[in-house]
Amino acid sequence: MSELFPLKQVMGFALSIILTIIAAGVYFLDGISFPIIMTILLVTAFIQAGLQLVVFMHAGETDDKSAIYTNIYYALIIALVTIFGTLLCMIWGYL
Amino acid sequence: MKVDQSLPLEYSTEQNKNNILGFWVFLGAEIMLFGTLFAAYFVLADRTGSGPTGVEIFQITPVLIETFILLTSSFTIGLGINAMRKGNLKAMITFYVITLLLGLSFLGVEIYEFVHYAHIGAAITVSAFTSTLLTTLGTHGAHVTFGLVWGILIVYQLIKRGLTPETANKSFIFSLYWHFLDVVWIFIFSFVYLKGMI
Repeated sequence: MSELFPLKQVMGFALSIILTIIAAGVYFLDGISFPIIMTILLVTAFIQAGLQLVVFMHAGETDDKSAIYTNIYYALIIALVTIFGTLLCMIWGYL
Repeated sequence: MKVDQSLPLEYSTEQNKNNILGFWVFLGAEIMLFGTLFAAYFVLADRTGSGPTGVEIFQITPVLIETFILLTSSFTIGLGINAMRKGNLKAMITFYVITLLLGLSFLGVEIYEFVHYAHIGAAITVSAFTSTLLTTLGTHGAHVTFGLVWGILIVYQLIKRGLTPETANKSFIFSLYWHFLDVVWIFIFSFVYLKGMI
């Protein structure tokens, strides 16, 4: 039975549950300032995304590892530049 | 067809390796797609016009249910791939079916949520906020719906053909897709719902 529930994946699942609870904490706890909330959310979200990628999607296990990571980093950079570039020219530039 | 026995079944042929890499490139494009949706949402989130704001319409309970359902389904499909690599077809199909049932319940809660929004005056045409919100959520929900259909066809092929290099490859690629949907949801959960509720 235990071979169907490998420790690595069970730990990965437990960690993602914990991170979700920490993130949800910003809603249930009062008196946290906005910058701290955003920091908590950013940290928990990106750790969770990395967890999925490495533990569950087996991104680093095969010969195509570097191609996979290059592709993901490239996509991530484009997405982040799109998001923050849009915020910069549509909102933050006019504060 | 050359089959390399030293590699997991889903990686065993040249075609299989290329399929998997090709799918990662597709997921890269999906990251950019959701990036543009998030960009639009963040800019327009405060443009509520005469409609309701995020704080007024978001409810924590269905959102938490959706999050835990999707996290669990991501875990069970991971166990499915583990069972596949151990050659245990029966356990693999069981995990895949559990995953699809969880996906279906996720969709049920999301549909309830959308009906509720429409009911309380937050339909897609009300304001810039509701249009970008429902477009972002809806694009994710449409991906889950497509994933359900795809997953059912995968399970059907597994039952019919058993574990071959092809079916293993298709199942692995489907698991990548499913995990990716969970990753997107984590960002929706954090930066649409939680950020919108404080």
